[in-house]
Amino acid sequence: MPSSRHTSPPVRGFVRPPSMLWGLPLLIMVSCLLLWPLGVIAVRSMRSDDGFTLGRYGDVLTSSNYLESFLITSVLAIGSTVIALLLCVPAALYLERTRTRTSRAISVGLTIPLSLPGIVIGFFVILLFGTTGLFPVTADQLFGSPIGQIAYTFTGLLIGYLYFNIPRVILVVRGAVAQVSTESIDAARTLGASAAHVYARVVLPALRPAVASASALSLATAFGAFGTAATLSRGYRVVPLDIAASFTERFDPQLAATLSVLLALITTGILVGVNKLGEAKRA
Amino acid sequence: MSTATAIDDANRQGESAPVAPITTGHRDPILAVGKICAWATLIICLLPIPVVFAVSTTRSWREGFWAGGFTLDWLVQGWERISGNFSYSLQIAAIVLVLNVAIGYPAAWLLARRRFPGRQVAMAITTMPIAIPGIALALGLILSYPTLRPGGYLLVAGHLLYTAPFFIGTLTPALADGRVRDVEQVAMTLGAGAFRRWLTVTVPQTRTALLAATIMVLTLSLGEFNVSFFLFTPVEQPLPVELYSSYITNRLEIAAASTMWFLALVVPAAVVLELAGGTKVGQA
Repeated sequence: MPSSRHTSPPVRGFVRPPSMLWGLPLLIMVSCLLLWPLGVIAVRSMRSDDGFTLGRYGDVLTSSNYLESFLITSVLAIGSTVIALLLCVPAALYLERTRTRTSRAISVGLTIPLSLPGIVIGFFVILLFGTTGLFPVTADQLFGSPIGQIAYTFTGLLIGYLYFNIPRVILVVRGAVAQVSTESIDAARTLGASAAHVYARVVLPALRPAVASASALSLATAFGAFGTAATLSRGYRVVPLDIAASFTERFDPQLAATLSVLLALITTGILVGVNKLGEAKRA
Repeated sequence: MSTATAIDDANRQGESAPVAPITTGHRDPILAVGKICAWATLIICLLPIPVVFAVSTTRSWREGFWAGGFTLDWLVQGWERISGNFSYSLQIAAIVLVLNVAIGYPAAWLLARRRFPGRQVAMAITTMPIAIPGIALALGLILSYPTLRPGGYLLVAGHLLYTAPFFIGTLTPALADGRVRDVEQVAMTLGAGAFRRWLTVTVPQTRTALLAATIMVLTLSLGEFNVSFFLFTPVEQPLPVELYSSYITNRLEIAAASTMWFLALVVPAAVVLELAGGTKVGQA
């Protein structure tokens, strides 16, 4: 062994890991602003005059009004997620596989809606499909009848939900496409597989975890969305609107708390469950 | 499935340098469909913005594009309506940013630089406010601390709770980066003290993430409606709450003009954010 090896340079020491105390401010904040309030909601939803009751959950889950709200919210969430997936998975593939200046510019443009609050998205739908929206006004001038006044219908809500889900699905799937090897797609094409076949056997299986987490994000966002529904809803009630109404109009914080617990369970359950589904061992 | 995996693995073994895609958008039907979808989604996402501009500069929108002529009157009226709310929202956003730096930065540092038992749980709890609907967070805050609402404290608390996950989530990977820590190590062996290492090495090395985290917090706070709806005070209303009442009550041109001012601030910020690579998703 060469003699020079044992004269290693003196080490002046390493940067020490930070003290656990650095986390203390966040711990206090999370305890006071998140965990305690969530506990308060849970307790308020189950408190009765003489102690403890699960009666409100029973009431909500057997009330045809609230069940209808949950149904409408689910249909909106699932519908907007499915349409977003159909549009965005191919779009994300194109954007990530052709790294031209155009596709880069499109990618930047598609992230803009992420910074817009739900109410502004609702207003966009009003501008395009409201009583004096772009499409009805144009149709009126061209055909003499204001076709497309759908802003305040179920379709209008669905368009609003689709709008905020598109950039979310694109962002998640784009990240995953970058991981799919271009060569396996090209190999399948060279071997004579049809486009549909390549999608079914190569692309979608490889994107499965990403599609699952994009769906989870999209569904959870749609279930919790308040601003878009508040701006567009005239008659169609979604659960977040019920929470707001039961607190501000009916002055029933216990009911608002019950609905909030159910909604938070749904969104958290979706985020955990659907992501698990994507990670599940592939057959 | 197994076929694809096999091809995938085979490719990796033979892979030496990145190979340019052989197929082009015109020949490959998958990419051809993708191209149509990409343009369709882009049009859906961006079409409303020029329409907002057109409506806010048309004298009488009901009769069509620029019917009665081009006008800046609506924009002026819109600004007069929202300027107070605008500066109030900017103040809130600035306070929320300062609190994020004070509370979130040390936490991001800890999460990035130290493995400790319960770290995964800490990360999960940190991201919880994104998973729980804003309206439920707001209800929890107002039922827990009803006396804090009048001063606007609850509004700040709600915004802080909602933005902190994004601030911490953007900074933690940057602070954990091995190259940054290597340079810090070098600075240390050269005798630089802890504060000097942080100021002259860490901060410049992580400046893109700092910029992204800052823009993220400011734009999320400026546009926050779901949490704010329960927590604002009758005295002063944040911008989105004023926009909402404008959508419900005002004529379309004024509502569009107020929205235009909001977009003028947020859209450029969103573009800078994406170019800095820091886009993350919030609630709708």
